[in-house]
Amino acid sequence: MKSYLSLIPISAKVRRRQNLMTLLCIIFAVFLVTAVFSMADMALRMEQARLTEKHAREFTFQAMMDTTMGRNLFLLAGALFILILLAGVLMISGSMNSTVAQRTKFFGMMRCIGMSRQQLKRFVRLEALNWCKIAIPVGLVLGTVITWALCAVMRFVVGEEFAMIPLFGISPIGMISGIVMGLVTVLLAARAPARQAAKVSPMAAVSGNTENKSRTWHAVRTGRFPIEISLGAHHAKSARKNLFLMTGSFALSIILFLTFSVLLDFVGYLLPQSAAAADITITDEAGVTGINCISPETIETIRGMDGVKNIFGRRSLFEVPAELGKEGLPQVVDLISFDDFDLDALKKDGRLKKGSDLSKVYGNNGSVLVISDPEAPLHMGDTIQVNGEPLTVAGMLKYDLFSEDGLSQGRVSIITSGETFAWLTGITDYSLVMVQTAGDVTDEDVAAISGVLEEGITLKDGRELRTSGTYTAFVLCVYGFLSIIALVTLLNIMNSISMSVSARSRQYGAMRAVGMDDRQVTGMIAAEAVTYALSGCAIGCIVGLAASRMLYNLLIDGRFPYAVWAPPVSRLLIVLSFVAAATLAAIYAPAKRIRNMTITATINEL
Amino acid sequence: MDLLEVSNVSKTYGSGEAAVKALKKVSFSVSKGEYVAIVGESGSGKSTLLNMIGALDVPTSGKVIISGKEIFSMNDRKLTIFRRRNIGFIFQAFNLIPELTVEQNIIFPVLLDYQKPDRKYLEELLSVLNLKERRRHLPSQLSGGQQQRVAIGRALITRPSLILADEPTGNLDTQNSSEVIALLKEASRKYEQTIVMITHSRSIAQTADRVLNVSDGVLTDLGRAQDVRGTSVMRGPEWKGDCE
Repeated sequence: MKSYLSLIPISAKVRRRQNLMTLLCIIFAVFLVTAVFSMADMALRMEQARLTEKHAREFTFQAMMDTTMGRNLFLLAGALFILILLAGVLMISGSMNSTVAQRTKFFGMMRCIGMSRQQLKRFVRLEALNWCKIAIPVGLVLGTVITWALCAVMRFVVGEEFAMIPLFGISPIGMISGIVMGLVTVLLAARAPARQAAKVSPMAAVSGNTENKSRTWHAVRTGRFPIEISLGAHHAKSARKNLFLMTGSFALSIILFLTFSVLLDFVGYLLPQSAAAADITITDEAGVTGINCISPETIETIRGMDGVKNIFGRRSLFEVPAELGKEGLPQVVDLISFDDFDLDALKKDGRLKKGSDLSKVYGNNGSVLVISDPEAPLHMGDTIQVNGEPLTVAGMLKYDLFSEDGLSQGRVSIITSGETFAWLTGITDYSLVMVQTAGDVTDEDVAAISGVLEEGITLKDGRELRTSGTYTAFVLCVYGFLSIIALVTLLNIMNSISMSVSARSRQYGAMRAVGMDDRQVTGMIAAEAVTYALSGCAIGCIVGLAASRMLYNLLIDGRFPYAVWAPPVSRLLIVLSFVAAATLAAIYAPAKRIRNMTITATINEL
Repeated sequence: MDLLEVSNVSKTYGSGEAAVKALKKVSFSVSKGEYVAIVGESGSGKSTLLNMIGALDVPTSGKVIISGKEIFSMNDRKLTIFRRRNIGFIFQAFNLIPELTVEQNIIFPVLLDYQKPDRKYLEELLSVLNLKERRRHLPSQLSGGQQQRVAIGRALITRPSLILADEPTGNLDTQNSSEVIALLKEASRKYEQTIVMITHSRSIAQTADRVLNVSDGVLTDLGRAQDVRGTSVMRGPEWKGDCE
C-alpha cells in the first residue's frame, strides 16, 4: 500500500455487492446521456446529408448547429441532460448515503487510528470516482449500441424522412457528454455522503453503529392488521423524509406519464393519421371536389397500374332537399359517398361515435352516417328523407372531416356508401379519387397515372407531404421519454426499498430469530412498499389528472374546438399497473435477501 | 426425561485449507426443567452450539432433538413455527423491536402466530419482570436492564419448553446482571422451563444446575456447578463481570 487511498480499490472489491446499486445508477445516467446526445448528433448528420443532397453543396457541422433544428435538438438534449443529472444525483446520493450509514463503524475506526475529517471526505469522494472506472465505459458502450439500434429502427421501420440517418455512427459529442455526466453526477452525489462520513465520531468504532440516532418515538398500532403488516406500514410512515421521497417518486412517475401522454393526443390532432390518407388525389382541373367527373372506368384502369396500393373515390352532391323530421333543422343536406375502403378507415381511425353500426351502411341498405353537430341534433336510429327516400341514421361521426376546425357550422353532411349514393342520386362518377401508393412507386408510375386521366381532370402528387414519419418519430420520442421516466422511477423505487430494508437488516434478523417466517418477512417488506405506492398513487392520480386536463386545455382545446378532455382511463390503468409491477419488483430482491440471510450473522452484531 | 438431545453435532465453516472446525462431534443431553450453563473461551464454539440448538444455523453433521422431534428434519417453515412456539431466545444485544412498546415486544411471538395473547399470563409476566409501569414505553426509553427484562418476557410469553440465552448479562452492570439471572431462574422454575445459557461470568455459571465447557469445538460436561467451583476451567483468565 502506497497511501491510505490504496484502501479504496480493496474496499470496492470487498463491498462489490453493496455498491452494485450505485454502480448501476452511474451506468444508467451515462448511458442515457450518451444515447440522447448521440441521437441528436445522428439526427443532425441526417439533416446535413439531406441538405447537402438537396442543395448540392457541403454543410459544416457548425452551420448545422446554427439551424433551428440544430439548436432545438441540442436544447432538448440539454434539458434532458439536466433532468437525468438531477435524477442521477438523487439516486446515487441516496444509495451512497446508505452505504456510508452501514459503515459508520469502519469510518469511526479510521478516525480512531488517525484519519482526519478531510482525509475521510477525500476517501469517500475518491471511492465514488473509483466506480466511474467501470461505470463510464459500460455506460458509453451501452449508449452507443442503443443509438445504433434506434437509428436502425428509424431507418428501416419509420423510414421516409429518416431513411438517411447514419447506422453505425460514433458520436464524440455523445461520448463527451456521457463522461461529463458520469463525473459530475458522482462528484455532486458524493458531497452529502462525504460530509456524513466525516461527521462520524471516533467513538463509533468502540460503541458500534450509531444507528439509534434516529430514535423511534411512536409505537406501532397493532390489532387491526397482522403484526407484520402493521410493522411494515409503520416502517414506511415513521421515516417522514423517506416517505416523502418515495411518495414523490411514485407520484412523479404517474404525473409525468399522464402529462406527457397528452402530447400524444396533441400530435394526433396536429398530424392526424388516417388509414385512408392519400398520396395522390385526383379531382377536376379547378381542384374543386364537388364536381363528379371521374368515371368508375378510370378508377378501374388506375387500380391495375404499377405503384398503386389502394384506390378509392368519393362522390358528392351538395344542398340536396331533405326532411330531417325536426323543427328548426335545415331543409337541405350535403351527400358524400365513401367507398368500402374509406368506410373501413373511419372505423380504424376511431372517428365513429360509440354505438355506431357501420355494417348497416355498406351496400344499399338505406342506412347512412351523419356528422354530429350540436346545432343539428340528429341521433342514431333517426329516420330522414333525402330526395324523397327514407334513410336511417346508423352511425354518427365525432367531428366534421371536411372542415378545418372540425365543426360543421349547422350544415348537415350525410355519408353514404357508393351504392346508396348511386341509388339516391343516379350519379356514378366520382368527384375525388384517392390513391395510396406502394413503397416502391416511382415518379414514372405517377406520370403514367396522370397520363390515363381524361381532359379536365388533374392529379395532385402529395407523396412529399406525408407526415407519418414525423408522427412516428414524435410518438417514438414521447414513448422513449416515458420509458426513461419509467426506468428511472423503477430503479429509484427498487433502490430506496432495498436501502430501507438494508438499514433494518439486524432488526429483521432478530424478528426471524424469535419466529417470524419467510412469508411474514415478505409481507412486512411488501406492506412498506405498498404504503409508499398507495400514497404515491393517490397523489399522482389527483395531481396527474389535473395536470393532464390543464395541458389538454392549453395545447388542444384552443386549437381544436371539437376536442373534449376525458379522464384518460386506459392510460391511468397502464401507469397504475406499471406502478404495481415496480412495487412487486422492488419487494422481490430485498425480501429474498432477508430470507437468505443467516440469522446468526446479524443478531449479535453490535 | 431428556428435553434436549444433541448428538454428534459438528460444524465446519469454509472448505479446503480455509476450513474451520467450530464444533467437533458434540453430544450431550439436558433434562426437562434443568438449568445448564455453557462456559468457554471466546471463539471456542459456544455461540455456534447455541445457534445449532436454536435452529438459527444448520450443523454440518449430527442431530438435535427437542421434545422428541429432530429439528433439522423439518422444512424451513415448520422449523420457524417450531422455534416460535417451543424455543425462547435471549440475546446479549436484547434485539427488541424499536417501534414496539414493552407490551407489544413481549407478545410479539404470539402475534406472529396470529393468536391472541393470554392477558392473565401477560399481566403476571409484567409483574414478575417489574415492567407494569413501563408497559407503554418504547425500548429507547428503557435502561439496559429493563430492556433485557423485556427480552426475557418475550422469551417466556409462548411458554416455551426451552430457553436459550446467549450472554444475557453481557451488556449489563453487576446489579442488573444479578437481577436478570434471578428473574430468569424464578420464571423458569415457575413455568418448568429448561434453560441453556452461555455465560462468561463465573458467579452466574455457579448458579446453574450443570456446567458444560466448550474448548476448541469440543464439549466437556463439568457436572454439577457446585462440584466444579475449584476446577481450572472455573478459574480461567476469561472470567469477567463476576457478581460475587
